[in-house]
Amino acid sequence: MKLGAAELKREREERRRGFFLALPSFAYMLLFFVLPLVIVLIYSFATRTSTGSTALSDWNLDAYRKLGEPIVRNVVVRSVVLALVTTVICLVVAYPFAWFCAHQRPTVRNVLLIAVMIPFWTNFLVRNYAWRILLSKGGPISTFTEAIGLGEVDILFTKTAVVIGLVYAYLPFMILPLYASIDRLDQRLIEAGRDLYGSGPQTFRRIILPLTMPGVIAGSILVFVPSMGAYVTPELLGGGKETMLGSYIVTQFLTARNWPVGASLSFVLMAVMLISTVIYFRSGGRNL
Amino acid sequence: MNEITESQDQRSAAVSLRGISKLFDDVTAVDSVDLDIGDSEFFALLGPSGCGKTTTLRMIAGLEIPSAGSLQIFGEEVGSLPPNKRPVNTVFQNYALFPHMSVVDNVAFGLKMRKIPKSEISTRVHEAISLVRMTGMEDRRPNQLSGGQQQRVALARALVNRPKVLLLDEPLAALDLKLRQEMQFELKQLQREVGITFVFVTHDQEEALALSDRIGVMNDGRLLQVGTPEEMYDAPIDRFVADFIGRSNFLKATLESAEVVCLANGQRIRVPQVDAVSVGDEVQVSLRPERVMIGDLDSAPHDSAQLSGTVETETFLGNSVVYRVALDWMTIEVEADHRPDVERYHAGDRVDLWWRDDAVAVVRP
Repeated sequence: MKLGAAELKREREERRRGFFLALPSFAYMLLFFVLPLVIVLIYSFATRTSTGSTALSDWNLDAYRKLGEPIVRNVVVRSVVLALVTTVICLVVAYPFAWFCAHQRPTVRNVLLIAVMIPFWTNFLVRNYAWRILLSKGGPISTFTEAIGLGEVDILFTKTAVVIGLVYAYLPFMILPLYASIDRLDQRLIEAGRDLYGSGPQTFRRIILPLTMPGVIAGSILVFVPSMGAYVTPELLGGGKETMLGSYIVTQFLTARNWPVGASLSFVLMAVMLISTVIYFRSGGRNL
Repeated sequence: MNEITESQDQRSAAVSLRGISKLFDDVTAVDSVDLDIGDSEFFALLGPSGCGKTTTLRMIAGLEIPSAGSLQIFGEEVGSLPPNKRPVNTVFQNYALFPHMSVVDNVAFGLKMRKIPKSEISTRVHEAISLVRMTGMEDRRPNQLSGGQQQRVALARALVNRPKVLLLDEPLAALDLKLRQEMQFELKQLQREVGITFVFVTHDQEEALALSDRIGVMNDGRLLQVGTPEEMYDAPIDRFVADFIGRSNFLKATLESAEVVCLANGQRIRVPQVDAVSVGDEVQVSLRPERVMIGDLDSAPHDSAQLSGTVETETFLGNSVVYRVALDWMTIEVEADHRPDVERYHAGDRVDLWWRDDAVAVVRP
């Protein structure tokens, strides 16, 4: 059907009004997200001079070639492993909690969800230092385990400490999307699964899990992505020994003074995350 | 209640409830229900929303555990078994089809869970799909189906398991009127074809009358009466039943002997013999509007019960006319056929009302 002239005019006006309303956020994103990203991209093709400064000439791919070197590969592998372990632990811890929340009375549910967000009221750095004290030799945890005869715990500056810190930091990002998808799940579908001879575990695997998959994927991305790039936690709880991508990038910029490599690594990391997120939204769109 | 339920043969009962109650916190949803549902019977649990009918059905399905009482399916005590251990399947309200599975996978679900061999699953699934006339739709997702088609898939998904009892929770409520009538007919035929017990919950009295072999009417968690559709319509024993199934006038009265009541205006009338109430009890006489004759003053035959009054309002319904006739002690609704040979009355006309002695039922108030 063809729209009349008046209708077309109205539609154009509405579209223009929408554009003007969104203009401030467009401008903000352009200035503080797209523009820096472009600068990073430009620097990644630049040349590092012998003095350590960056020459914006002689464009080349040296920095990207350097990413294939073993030292970088080690950092990438370590980051991926730690981020994966963090994501899996978050998933296993968050799922039962989100399930429990979704099945409470509204008041209890709100209290629980607010409790999940309370840690955000304290500065991230402060919380990491708190963990450092908790985990340190002679700290509260160690003292406790010694008191009950399990010996002292000395895990500060290990991978375990980093994972504990990351799980703690990003658990809310797993809980909230999981809660949202579990809350949307129609209880009758679970009943139908049970009625059709599904045992508890079968019903979970065949019905509950596939139907809450959008939450699982969203939560996993929200935990995995920042874990990969984490800087503060690996530095403070890993003691800089367990270098992850974030720390490596910082080193490239500040210590090694190799901006092109830092820029190329940042850019690749971001591209990988972006692509995996796009894949999620594609698959999520199909599931929802 | 016992005089009704005990007439059923204990051994042939597909589903047998004895003193079944269900409490949610402190609220009694189902209050000590006794009920036997026969093998291959089409049984309707009828009642308004919140009367406990769905809770009763869910207890049979295993989705709720009874707070008290005994629940048997073909003689086996199942009261505390989980749903996957019971030989029953449910057609849920709004169907609860699995949205992430195709029609075939939905129908095959129960068989897969029971680890039936693949080849047998495939045959049985296709049989079930063709039984509900959904052949050709196997690969569709539930959101690509109309309400009636979803309904059929839900039926196939339950029936493919060859349950001993099929439970249906308001199966037709989500469909529009025309489709509902079609599906009623199909459901009835399907039940005859597969020959298993259907227990179905509805708040629609017409649906219950049209489909079921027997009806149980529930209100406030109690099962008030069980009987064939004709028994429930002709001989209700409770005012609620008479009011819920069809329409009725209720005349206050006292039972004077097994077959005589004294109306509130002092008039004595003969009534069919009643067992549910005892002599001397306050009762109500249920008088269906279409069973009352209306005629000119003093035209009532002298051997039948009669009352005189004034037509207050008339409502034309096409095939009939509904009059509200004011007596000096109450108002009675009368439904008269609309035909050329039937006299038509208007507001203000003085009329006689009369009925045959067996046209009324004496009910508990």
